[in-house]
Amino acid sequence: MTSDRRWIARLGAALFAVALLYPFTSLFARVGPWQWGADVRGPALASVRVSLLLTGLAMVVIVAIGTPVAAYVARCRPGERLIWQAILLIPILLPPLALGILMTLAFGPYGSVGAVLERYGIAMTNSATAFVATQVYVGMGYYVLGAVAALDAVPIMLQKQAALLGLTPMKVFWRVTLPLSRLGLAVALSIAWVRAIGEFGAVVVTAYYPSGMPVQLWVNLQSFGLPAVMPLLVLFLAVALPVPWLIHVLAQRRRHA
Amino acid sequence: MLKAHIIKHRRELRVEVQVNVAQGCSIGLFGASGTGKSTVLACLAGIEEPDGGYVEVKGLNLFPPSLPLYRRPIGYLTQEPNLFPHLSVSENICFGIPRDRRTEKDVAGWIATLRDRLQLEPLWNAPASLISGGQARRVSLARMLARKPPLVLLDEPFAGLDRQLVRELIDDLVFWSQTIGFSMIAVDHQAEVLRRLCPQGAVVLEQGRIVQQGSWEELSRDPATPLLRSLLAPL
Repeated sequence: MTSDRRWIARLGAALFAVALLYPFTSLFARVGPWQWGADVRGPALASVRVSLLLTGLAMVVIVAIGTPVAAYVARCRPGERLIWQAILLIPILLPPLALGILMTLAFGPYGSVGAVLERYGIAMTNSATAFVATQVYVGMGYYVLGAVAALDAVPIMLQKQAALLGLTPMKVFWRVTLPLSRLGLAVALSIAWVRAIGEFGAVVVTAYYPSGMPVQLWVNLQSFGLPAVMPLLVLFLAVALPVPWLIHVLAQRRRHA
Repeated sequence: MLKAHIIKHRRELRVEVQVNVAQGCSIGLFGASGTGKSTVLACLAGIEEPDGGYVEVKGLNLFPPSLPLYRRPIGYLTQEPNLFPHLSVSENICFGIPRDRRTEKDVAGWIATLRDRLQLEPLWNAPASLISGGQARRVSLARMLARKPPLVLLDEPFAGLDRQLVRELIDDLVFWSQTIGFSMIAVDHQAEVLRRLCPQGAVVLEQGRIVQQGSWEELSRDPATPLLRSLLAPL
């Protein structure tokens, strides 16, 4: 690429970045002095704790269940794989609010599974369990579809060669498949994290309490207006961004190592 | 040692081949490209599943039913070295040996022998992803031999290499087949390579079928088909 073309490409990319980040200039909009008094700060910090802890837990569940499922889908026949992809796309493409309503009906006290869970003392509405379950539903499809692509990229012949060298399928996964796909898996996980921690539509229906950051933003907007939204928004970016960004940094460093 | 009857359908080609190899013997599968040689080898290795027939190695039934790859006493070398790119050369070579066995005197001695004979010492700690194609072939050969498999399958493992390296690798393989005592089936479409690797003789395939088998002298003296005559003729 010539120097002139490189500059044109750079300018185009810069314009794209400006357009993408333009809405964030509203952080400097004149909305009045930002509110960070005790009545805003307490619930805001509690929501940060809820979001980080419960989203982290949801990610553990997503990885534990999603990785074997992805490994299965990556190796199944094309026809069956198409069915799996449709199944995984359904919770992704559904409007989050609709998903929340469906989850409440299915897992709430009047749903068949919900009634059984409630009998064992597991509340599936307005509880930490409901919060985690919703985030798992919201993020699982993103993780599994990304993980399938990552596992697909590992040459099948390398895995067969490892097996011919005496490794059981489980050992082949740990020693060959996982190391060669871990960057793709990490990126899939970062997307699931971003999707889950920012989730509002489904969570507001299933788990208004305990409030995570997106719900707390809504509460702040309703109760105090924009001046109480802005500081929580900044806090949200500060705590939600590092995890996925760090994964991308590591992925890039690994690629150029 | 090996008794096999492979039946495999590949698009319009039906491959049906019977192969028997005695302990410590080598046999070449010879023929033009697309005659089913690699298919036979892949079916013997278990990389592909045959549509019919049977495979038995040292009394162990490999097919049917299909025995899992990790239980097959087979070394398999192809045109692609298939090294594990996230590991070093030494880790690749020791890959098939359990970690707790690597420090055993005879195992460590055997690995050192492979390293020295194949001139891998300078590369020993290099990442496998950064070595040249010729070096990668030597590493994949060492990795296969590290486990001392009783049966070695070679699917044109020297394709694209310079003559000097091919000569060295063939000498190494012949040396170790005598030292370890493994049996060998090699596939190549170059008679010159197969003749050195499997001096005892070859099985000739055309259109998925055996058209002739015997010593190289017999094949050269009285080739069964015009195609075989052409393949055996000097350039």
